[in-house]
Amino acid sequence: MHIMEGFLPPIWCAFWYIISIIVVIYGIYQIKKIANDIPESKALLAVSGAFMFILSSLKLPSVTGSCSHPTGNGLGAAIFGPAVTSVLATIVLLFQAILLAHGGLTTLGANIFSMGIVGPFIAWVVYKGLIKYNVSSTIAIFFAAFFGDLLTYVVTALQLSLAFPLPTFGQAFTNFLIIFAITQIPLAIAEGILTVIIWDRLKVYKPKLLDRLQLLSKKEEIEVDG
Amino acid sequence: MNFNMDYIAHNNRLSSINTSYKVFVSIIVMLITLALNNLYLDVIVFVLMAFLIILVAKISVKDYLKFITIPFIFTVITSIYLILFTGTGEVIYNTGFFGIVITNNSLNLGIYTFARVFACFSCLGFLALTTPIAEILHFLGDLKVPKILLEIALLMYNTIFIFLEELNTMRNAQETRLGYNGSKSTYRSLGSLFSNLFLKSLDKSEKLQCALDSRCYSGEMPRYKPSKNNINTNSNYYSNKTKFSRPSK
Repeated sequence: MHIMEGFLPPIWCAFWYIISIIVVIYGIYQIKKIANDIPESKALLAVSGAFMFILSSLKLPSVTGSCSHPTGNGLGAAIFGPAVTSVLATIVLLFQAILLAHGGLTTLGANIFSMGIVGPFIAWVVYKGLIKYNVSSTIAIFFAAFFGDLLTYVVTALQLSLAFPLPTFGQAFTNFLIIFAITQIPLAIAEGILTVIIWDRLKVYKPKLLDRLQLLSKKEEIEVDG
Repeated sequence: MNFNMDYIAHNNRLSSINTSYKVFVSIIVMLITLALNNLYLDVIVFVLMAFLIILVAKISVKDYLKFITIPFIFTVITSIYLILFTGTGEVIYNTGFFGIVITNNSLNLGIYTFARVFACFSCLGFLALTTPIAEILHFLGDLKVPKILLEIALLMYNTIFIFLEELNTMRNAQETRLGYNGSKSTYRSLGSLFSNLFLKSLDKSEKLQCALDSRCYSGEMPRYKPSKNNINTNSNYYSNKTKFSRPSK
């Protein structure tokens, strides 16, 4: 769920904009470096961004009966790393605001922070951590997508309760968390499962590619090479 | 998925007006509305933007209502939440359910938030419905936003429509084979749909790069910028807009 246009007071809009812009600028710097080394990567980034946009505009059936959409962050972060994903997510969010009227321009900063920065960063940390301990990449990608999705909503709850600390900040935070938990935990599991299915196919059809990007655990690498 | 909005943005009476005017009008009105947080101003802004969208840009009322329905529902739900759970001050009405009460302040907050969100949203709507994305990206380029970001964004925008077509084709193929019958097969179908799309996208990115390279692409898609005197006489040449056909039902 995106924070809607005009929902946050101006001070918080500015605050989240400033934080997000710093991270996004770092991401742009990273992309520039990659694009200088490998010129072909620009097209790859653009196409992956389009993939993320399509994935995020798709409705997913979730257990509670509510329909919501996957963020696609887990997959993006695992493949490209959090800094690059933050830039792609920025463009995706801008397109969603202008093409689909999801989210908004004044709240763009806050949305980038929750969906483009914290979510992918957590997903990336979880993924790399699990891979390091030789967990199968399929399980790792599930937890990456799951925690990436969940943390996105924890941050959204934090942003909302900072903007509306009524009656108190703590109470507002718990309220928002409880309401999000009802809809978002099933959704996070759903996104995890979907990501696993996608990942499984990728492993079957393009194992060499995943191996080259150093995304597999050691055990799987041996299988691919052997 | 419905991308009618892109079609509308390319085909209305305001689409050939200078982008910077539209961006400035919507952003400045939006910021003023947000900062002042005044109930009357919110209503005025909403009416003004509806006037601009329907009467000046000649976008049909049906399209406008379609655009506004889903955000309207979300805003109502959010406002009800704010009214019920943020209570401080004098109690107006006790629901008698888990001690949830409606108070003076929370009612105010709910109504003010609803009006503000809707006013700001209609400013966004004005921008979104009258301005094609490519024009907005060029405008951002004039604001010295890093070129590489816009480059990727523009390539992404072009790719989205190619993907949508492929997605629809694959989806139809799956649906005719009962791929979305029950939640288990839905997940399986969605999984194969997107992994297929991802593999295709890798393929496509290679082809895209070859196509761009063979046309001497150096990081910029040139755009025809008319001299100022030409705008009125040659309005057809004003933008090199690509028209996307309205998706069939």
